[in-house]
Amino acid sequence: MNKELEHRFVTELENNQNIVHKVCTLYTNDRDSHNDLFQEITIQLWKAYPKFRGDAKFSTWMYRVALNTAITLYRKSKKRVQTQDYDSVIFKIKADEYDDTEEKQLKLMYNAVKQLGDIDKALVFLYLEDKDYAEISETLGITEVNARVKMNRVKNKLRTILNP
Amino acid sequence: MMDELELLKKDWQNKEDHLPKLSYDQIYKMIWKKSSSIVKWIFYISLIEFIFWAGINILFSDPESMQELKAMHIYNVMMVLNFVNYGVILYFIYKFYKNYRKISFTDSSKKLMRTILDVKKTVTQYVWFNLMIFAITMIISIYGVLIYGPQGKEIIASAMQEGNEATFWFLVITVSMIFTAVLLVLIWLFYKLLYGILLKRLKENYNDLKKLEV
Repeated sequence: MNKELEHRFVTELENNQNIVHKVCTLYTNDRDSHNDLFQEITIQLWKAYPKFRGDAKFSTWMYRVALNTAITLYRKSKKRVQTQDYDSVIFKIKADEYDDTEEKQLKLMYNAVKQLGDIDKALVFLYLEDKDYAEISETLGITEVNARVKMNRVKNKLRTILNP
Repeated sequence: MMDELELLKKDWQNKEDHLPKLSYDQIYKMIWKKSSSIVKWIFYISLIEFIFWAGINILFSDPESMQELKAMHIYNVMMVLNFVNYGVILYFIYKFYKNYRKISFTDSSKKLMRTILDVKKTVTQYVWFNLMIFAITMIISIYGVLIYGPQGKEIIASAMQEGNEATFWFLVITVSMIFTAVLLVLIWLFYKLLYGILLKRLKENYNDLKKLEV
């Protein structure tokens, strides 16, 4: 029984690991922290797995646990995220795919997102993942209206960071 | 602003292919890691503790204190005790290390639970052994000081003059026992704090595993 549970969990996580990697990318700046966070999220997911009864999609549940873990850890060590280095983002954009101005723009955007607070980052992350407000609100445990309002505020914040 | 965010979104989604990819086995190992890092710390702390006490011992092993021990006729006993002490402690460190290795390569929750119980048992034995050695050292030292130490002789001599030998010995033994007991409790508290936190976390991990056992 236990073996079966393990197997099911690891298989599902293996298939959905991109979600966790993307959360790690957004919340950490180097490979070591990325791996640490990945492991911490894995442990949290595994701990919570017996309580996961399939009333939500596995991926939605993963978003929630992964973001919660990242946010909690981020609160514990604020300094970890203070210095941003775009180049250290683990997966890099292939330079030839974009023209110069577009790449520069993206670089600025990523830097701006990294400067956001933990919750704002989670919002942007779900937005980038192309989630609608219903799913965003479910994942973060806030109302849909609240999610919209918050998202607008985040957009304003990004604007201020980009055009000081 | 909207355009930029859309651009970012497009780029973000293109990045999927560049994400790291972990294998089934790599993920599988991760879910056991928590216990292994706790057990690793138990091993490290025992090592640090060993070095600390050995250091103190060497520091106080100057010829003068050796002379004092010899004068009290407890030098040989103390040396033997030290020898036994280090031997057993090294054995415990080896056991801690073995536990750590075992837990690092565990691949089933059943085995992991067993190892956690083993670790708990080893730590408990280790603490009791340390308390025992300490108690024996105390008793021998008190004996040495009283029978052969310069102050001891004075105390005994004055007690003899008073003429109350039985009461005197009764008092000495009671005071020594209380003194030793208080120190033992202090040391026990120290261990409780040092290893207690780690063991508590292990216990939590154990309970988590237990819950998964259906």
